[in-house]
Amino acid sequence: MSLLQIKDLRVEFQTGDGAVNAVNGVSFNVEKGETLAIVGESGSGKSQTAFAAMGLLARNGKAIGQALYEGKDLLTMSRKELNRIRSNEVAMIFQDPMTSLNPYMRISDQMAEVLQLHKGMSKKDAVNEAAKMLDAVRIPDAKARITMYPHEFSGGMRQRIMIAMALLCQPKLLIADEPTTALDVTVQAQIMELFGDIRKEFGTAVILITHDLGVVAGFCDRTLVLYGGQVMEEAETEALFARPSHPYTRGLLRAVPRFDRKDEALLAIAGEPPDMSRLPEGCPFAPRCAEVRDICQTAKPVIAGEAHRRACHVPTEELSHV
Amino acid sequence: MLSFIARRFAVAIPTILILIVVSFVLMFAAPGGPFNAERPLPPQVLANIEAKYGLDQPYWKQIFDYVWNVVVHFDFGPSFKYKDRSVNDIIAQGFPVTLTYGFWSFVVAVIVGVTLGVVAAIRHNTWLDYLAVGISIGAQSLPNFVMAPMLVIVFTLWLGWLPGGGWNGGQLQYLVLPVIALSTSYMASIARITRSSMLEVLNSGFIRTARAKGLSDGRIILRHALKPAMLPVLSYLGPAFVLMVTGSVIVDSYFSTGGIGVYFVNAAFNRDYSVMMGITILMGALTILFNLIVDLLYAWIDPKIRY
Repeated sequence: MSLLQIKDLRVEFQTGDGAVNAVNGVSFNVEKGETLAIVGESGSGKSQTAFAAMGLLARNGKAIGQALYEGKDLLTMSRKELNRIRSNEVAMIFQDPMTSLNPYMRISDQMAEVLQLHKGMSKKDAVNEAAKMLDAVRIPDAKARITMYPHEFSGGMRQRIMIAMALLCQPKLLIADEPTTALDVTVQAQIMELFGDIRKEFGTAVILITHDLGVVAGFCDRTLVLYGGQVMEEAETEALFARPSHPYTRGLLRAVPRFDRKDEALLAIAGEPPDMSRLPEGCPFAPRCAEVRDICQTAKPVIAGEAHRRACHVPTEELSHV
Repeated sequence: MLSFIARRFAVAIPTILILIVVSFVLMFAAPGGPFNAERPLPPQVLANIEAKYGLDQPYWKQIFDYVWNVVVHFDFGPSFKYKDRSVNDIIAQGFPVTLTYGFWSFVVAVIVGVTLGVVAAIRHNTWLDYLAVGISIGAQSLPNFVMAPMLVIVFTLWLGWLPGGGWNGGQLQYLVLPVIALSTSYMASIARITRSSMLEVLNSGFIRTARAKGLSDGRIILRHALKPAMLPVLSYLGPAFVLMVTGSVIVDSYFSTGGIGVYFVNAAFNRDYSVMMGITILMGALTILFNLIVDLLYAWIDPKIRY
């Protein structure tokens, strides 16, 4: 059984301007100990997919479909059952470490409450354990600094604290929602290195949500490409980078700046990301696609394939080569 | 921290002096005086009376003597209207009364207001939210000079449960109606501020983190959301507390509680200079004190604030 199975997940937000469909039938699996990347532009539904699975959608959001964690549906279980899984078995790290920690509480209190809740530890033991974990994510002088408040740490340090807090119960799955986006490039590299060590040390499965393909290439076993709240392509990371078979994936890869080809200007995918409240009838990428056919305007492509899945009406052989 | 408190007290002294001078100037600027009656007094009698109270002195000397008496002797002078009573007597008699019903009004307003605001925020856009918002808008729109007689009609005349006035040493049954009349509109403001700041806090990133940790809603509210949500409420509570404990003319007149609220307003009508000054200084000093307390509470809640 897969650790996490997302089946035909849809996320809908009720807004003043009508319903917005952020996620439209996403399915994928995460195996034990595996690292899966979910990539896509802003608004592609990558974060909302994770929030839906964790029951963290905004008030006006609704998740439909299934998110099976070890066979149990996270979307339909009681809040109490879900709370036993949250952080204890599935932990999450957020994009902005500056706002994700409670500015009014000491780090020790924020970390200890996780262990007190899930492991029934005493406050004192929990703080000791938390200090050890801060040490593990290489926060210098962790024992002394654990009593400090979040504003006394830099952004990179705060993200380390978030990671340490997420790892306290040694979860089987760690969902990281753009964990490095808000950080400096040098700090980004340190954090990714930390993720690598964690994976080795704890055997934790990781879902890494990002728009940074550079991060994905060096880190993830498999990659899932989302666009308009739908899966466009999914494959082992190496295969996806070597033989991208979806026009959108190809566009994304082309848009990565390359320093070995100095003569070219930065390439962008023409057009705008779709308006999620008015998605086109056919393929969401059709309006921006260079390979578009008539059928793409009227019918949604169905995702197909085994190891290398893609959702495109145009067979790979017929795509023009770049 | 201690030096911060010391500095705040040092600033309080000139603030109160300015308050005294401005109040004096405003009093003298208003036409008429404490001894202008319908039937004018003979000039010689008027001159004698004014000489007795020092009103024949130049303004600067009057102010100086007043400040000297207040600071050195802690004496706010005799009342101009109540011949046998000093301002100290009036405050000593009336202030405990307003302090008592003002304090309980404050307690009621904070407990009910915060609860109402928190419940409304947690159940945002449900019937509970609409009910709480409806109650607070209603409570705020109802002036206490309408509220007070309504309470008397219902609880005294119709139901006969509670006395319609009097104080009787501040016994519980005499306290209830004044406290309801005074606390209602403050309660409504507290509920509104709490609701909006709680809504903002509940949408913040660290609350999402708390949910992702698997904490129950109750723990999230109590441990993570309540403290930050209280910050805007706190800055309202300082001045509100002072206004409440210095009483209300409406409450004092409707319920004949004998608090200083009614003396203050009567003093303004009667040009009872010394009573006006005394109560003004009392309110000013309390305002300064409670703003300081609010600032200290801010630092206690928000670790980023250090004095």
